[in-house]
Amino acid sequence: MTWIDFPLYSSISISLWILGLLFLLISYKKETVFKFANLLFIAGWVVLILFVIKLWIELDRPPMRTLGETRLWYATFLPLIGFLTYIRWKYKWFLAYSIAMAGMFLAINYMNPETYSKTLMPALQSPWFIPHVLVYLFSYAVLAASSIVAVKGWYDSYKGKFNIETLKLADNLVYIGFAFLTLGLLFGALWAKEAWGHYWTWDPKEVWAFLTWMGYLIYIHYRHFHIHKTQQALTILALAFVVLLVCWFGVNYLPVANTSVHTYTQY
Amino acid sequence: MSENQQTVQRNLWENPWGYVESFFIGFGLLVTGFFLEVFVKTNNTFTISYPYNVFFLVGYVVALIMLYKWFSTTQIIRWLTKVPASISSIVLVTLLVMIMGIIPQIPSENNIITNLGLNHITTNWAFLLIIFQFLTCLGLVTIKRISQLKWSNFGFILNHLGLFLALIAGILGTGDLQRLSINVYEGKPSWIATDAQKNEIELPFAFYLKDFLINEYNPKLALVDNKSGSIAHNNGKNLYLVEKGETYFFKNFEVTVNEFFPNSGRIGDRYEKVNEIGSPPSASITVKNIENDSIINSWISSGSFRYPYESLKISEDYSIVMTIPEVKKFSSDIDILTKEGERISTVLEVNKPFKFRGWKIYQLSYDDKMGKWSNLSVLELVKDPWLPFIYIGIFMMIAGAFYMFWMGNKITKNQ
Ligand code: HEM
Repeated sequence: MTWIDFPLYSSISISLWILGLLFLLISYKKETVFKFANLLFIAGWVVLILFVIKLWIELDRPPMRTLGETRLWYATFLPLIGFLTYIRWKYKWFLAYSIAMAGMFLAINYMNPETYSKTLMPALQSPWFIPHVLVYLFSYAVLAASSIVAVKGWYDSYKGKFNIETLKLADNLVYIGFAFLTLGLLFGALWAKEAWGHYWTWDPKEVWAFLTWMGYLIYIHYRHFHIHKTQQALTILALAFVVLLVCWFGVNYLPVANTSVHTYTQY
Repeated sequence: MSENQQTVQRNLWENPWGYVESFFIGFGLLVTGFFLEVFVKTNNTFTISYPYNVFFLVGYVVALIMLYKWFSTTQIIRWLTKVPASISSIVLVTLLVMIMGIIPQIPSENNIITNLGLNHITTNWAFLLIIFQFLTCLGLVTIKRISQLKWSNFGFILNHLGLFLALIAGILGTGDLQRLSINVYEGKPSWIATDAQKNEIELPFAFYLKDFLINEYNPKLALVDNKSGSIAHNNGKNLYLVEKGETYFFKNFEVTVNEFFPNSGRIGDRYEKVNEIGSPPSASITVKNIENDSIINSWISSGSFRYPYESLKISEDYSIVMTIPEVKKFSSDIDILTKEGERISTVLEVNKPFKFRGWKIYQLSYDDKMGKWSNLSVLELVKDPWLPFIYIGIFMMIAGAFYMFWMGNKITKNQ
């Protein structure tokens, strides 16, 4: 069993990250400690990467087959996206969020060792699986954050002290989240072509993913054109999030649910 | 940057057209479309194939360029290159797609749904008209930005031109898209495929299935509630894969797997390894009740299409069962035989299609009742000559998404 060392490596990574998160929290008061937080994040990340490389060598194949291996990749790539986003946009909370998510995936693996369900249906065994799911996960997280910002904006303008900075933050988050959403959609299309023979089949899940995308497209164009109509922009943002939630959780309750191939029963 | 902050009273249809006019036109298109849907009964759906789709594409793009070049001062072209026209068409496309996301796209008994064609939105006239407006906006605004020849439009062009290409190639390409499926049996050549309408089509080459292979995961152990017959979840954890020598805990039962055979048959009071068609997996397990230390030993089996399953009742409330093994991988070892006498060997697998003479050949399915003893493999053949354009569009949009992520929006930067 090549996973035998996982508890060791993962607990080192998780400890380093928790320590890093603490430093990050302190850095809101005292900026200088932020570099320690970064050092700890990177150290934990290096430990994790070492484990992945070791596992890869021992398995003699890319560790991408089982659910546990998939989660390992989430945990590996989330910090990378977090770092990139931080380098570009300087959102500390966002870095913290991605590190915490990565830690969560490690913890899930720790608590569900590989002897438990490690079945993955053939269509999901594809190099596209991880990038597809990962960018979606990320875009949903960022877009959810943008909606929280929108709610704050609403509340502020209700109180009569709306600050345009709030909307600018929402704009930035929408642009980042929308970029990831586009990638998720397109990676999905490229994968579907390899697995099912067609890139787009209007499957209910695809339909709602497309609708989500269109919702944010409306927001982006509305904002571009009507820079001062902040109230309407906030409303559009909130509505787009409702569509996103339907896509995420609601599709299964709609009458179309049983025509979906995303239930994976055909094999 | 455009601003629409006029407080001056403006009459309807006066310069420049805004949202009211845009939605008015949009709804006009919708109503026209539904009218066509109700009163013009066509059986064949709107698809055009080669060479007419190429003519259409060239004509459309040339028309858009000419409209932009010579008529950009007219009311309608100015409107089409502005955000209100785009937003109204995006909203209406969204609305129609939302119908598709709610009403199942299958034959319906509801008269309204059937008459308005709400169960085939993608071929609905209303949808086609709105998509046409959508594409026209997108095309014109792209031409406008391209003709400005500015580097700052780079991201804009990647996104808008990419989407335009992918969409138009996808829509016009459906007429030329061929998707066939073919049943291939072990040991004999097959060349008759069927299309979606069940028409038989003779291929210019034949498939010869040398071997169809399925790899399975081990079966899983599950605790089943005797009364309801459903799986009693083991503290919300997943089920356990049967592995010889392992011990698992189900509530207060300790289950040890003493022996496991992937293929076996019942012989007397036990199972033995056998290798014949339909021989199911089986395991010898020891179940210890931790509360009263009682021990049961028995064989269980998931059964197969030929043999019944065997579970083990371990208490009044619960039984241990072995689930049917899940498929890990299936593949077909095939030869493709051409008329010229060539013989090309390849192995097809899910997610690993094979390209051959403009076709992409996919492993689709097999006889799932027979499972790993299936000697039938179902292949799918897809020919989509427009795919390169769609891929160019998709990759432009991927690049555009990276651009968006990195650059953010102008609004924040400029102020
Ligand atoms: C991949 C999808 C799309 C993305 C990422 C996108 C993004 C953008 C962005 C960021 C702008 C701001 C202008 C700028 O950056 O210079 C913009 C403007 C615009 N977009 Fe889109 N858009 C998309 C699809 C569409 C579609 C489908 C339409 C029309 C149906 C459209 C019509 C417009 C128009 C009319 C403008 C204003 C152009 C101008 O003022 O010159 N876009 N878009």
